[in-house]
Amino acid sequence: MSFRDIGIKIQSAREEKGLSQEQLARLIGCSQSALSNYEKGKRRLYLSQLEKMAEILDKPLEYFVETLGHNQHPPVVPDRNQSFVEIMNQLNRLTDEDISEVMNYVRYLEWKRSGRA
Amino acid sequence: MDLSLTREQQELIKSVQEMANRDIKPFALKGSSKYKEKMLLAMARMNLLCPTVPQEYGGLGLDLFSTALVVEELAAASPGMAAIVAATLHAAEPILLAGTEQQKSEFLPLLTGAHGGSAAFALTESAGGSDLNNIASYAEAVPDGYLLNGSKDYMINAGMARFISVVAAIDNRGKKSSLRIFLVPGSAAGIVTEEIYQTSGINLTSVGRVKFDDVHIMDQQVVKSREAGSGYLLLTQTFDVGRALVGALAVGIARAALEQALDFADNRLQSGTPIKKHQAVAFTLADMATDIEMARLMTWKACWLIDQGGDYSVASAMAKLASSSMAQRVTCSAADILGARGYLHGTLIEQLVRDARVLSTIEGTNHIQRLLISSQL
Repeated sequence: MSFRDIGIKIQSAREEKGLSQEQLARLIGCSQSALSNYEKGKRRLYLSQLEKMAEILDKPLEYFVETLGHNQHPPVVPDRNQSFVEIMNQLNRLTDEDISEVMNYVRYLEWKRSGRA
Repeated sequence: MDLSLTREQQELIKSVQEMANRDIKPFALKGSSKYKEKMLLAMARMNLLCPTVPQEYGGLGLDLFSTALVVEELAAASPGMAAIVAATLHAAEPILLAGTEQQKSEFLPLLTGAHGGSAAFALTESAGGSDLNNIASYAEAVPDGYLLNGSKDYMINAGMARFISVVAAIDNRGKKSSLRIFLVPGSAAGIVTEEIYQTSGINLTSVGRVKFDDVHIMDQQVVKSREAGSGYLLLTQTFDVGRALVGALAVGIARAALEQALDFADNRLQSGTPIKKHQAVAFTLADMATDIEMARLMTWKACWLIDQGGDYSVASAMAKLASSSMAQRVTCSAADILGARGYLHGTLIEQLVRDARVLSTIEGTNHIQRLLISSQL
């Protein structure tokens, strides 16, 4: 059982409950960034904190502690904010002409998603 | 974070130092049980066996920062005596964190006052070590409680603990959510101290293998007995607190080595001048003092975070890793300064080198600390 395993369980239970990170953070009395770190497994949660979280998320404490099965790990998806930062860094290295082309492609993607393709 | 010590903390240090210099340090190297009893009594008279016990249960009610100051002073006088206190603090921690009023009233007073004794924390097993996924000790539910069976190894305070906080599973062996902490009176029927080891360092402590053979435990002697998963979480928290105190233990050991090296370097003449005036020795002493201060500050930070209820997992692992490594470097440097005298069996510096060695093993090996730290980066 790693912190990451507990974090995945928290994220999963939070989404099941329909709460955003901000909402759950407010309910348990921590910052959104702290909750984000708990979910990423970058910070350790202790008994009293997890008891509170378990109560809010309607899960027994046991749910968070038991190891995930192989098929319970969610697929790894790139962090959206991190992707934006990377895109901005890439754009910064392009010429004005290149950026114009990128904008055209972005508009094409929007048009395609709108169902007119 | 304010690094200045309060007047109460300064007075606490002074009084512990006076007691340690009078009642512990002169006898620390002798290692016989007769002296050990006297030293324990001196510590108990000052209520130092478990300083974190709240005053309403007879303790000093110290926070962890002040407790670390006490542990450093005790370790500077006798690492073995400090290890007895550290193990007792570890055993009491689950009760302090999550015990019921009844558990606090029943067990905490056993550690306090002039008649107080030590406690033990029983996790490690011969086969699985301290792996929480492989705890074989098992408590079978019976109508009025549990029957505990299993064997715990390398337990500090074996054969002398007033109570033992035993980690065992209650069902579905192999599941972490089945782990619980059982508070077992040291006098309970079925506890067998199978062996007390001769350890390389921390002499005067009693490290051994203890067997639990159908030990009957009432339900109210189990911390959070009904809450599956609580035992695992309590254990991780208890370790995080214990690690910070290993930092204090390490600082005390290193300080004793530095004091010994300084005393020798001031008095040992080479070509007519004290060797402390020679840069090779002076610079080594400077590095030792700097190393100790670094570890002390890391230990203080971890303890401060714990007292504040902050995020202390990484800080305590770093304090333990840095301080235990530091103590091994500093004691070896001190032995180098003392030369051949530092290699004689039964001398203080030789003992301190062996004492420091245990620090990278207890409360999770230093590799475990690196795993913990790296996982949170």
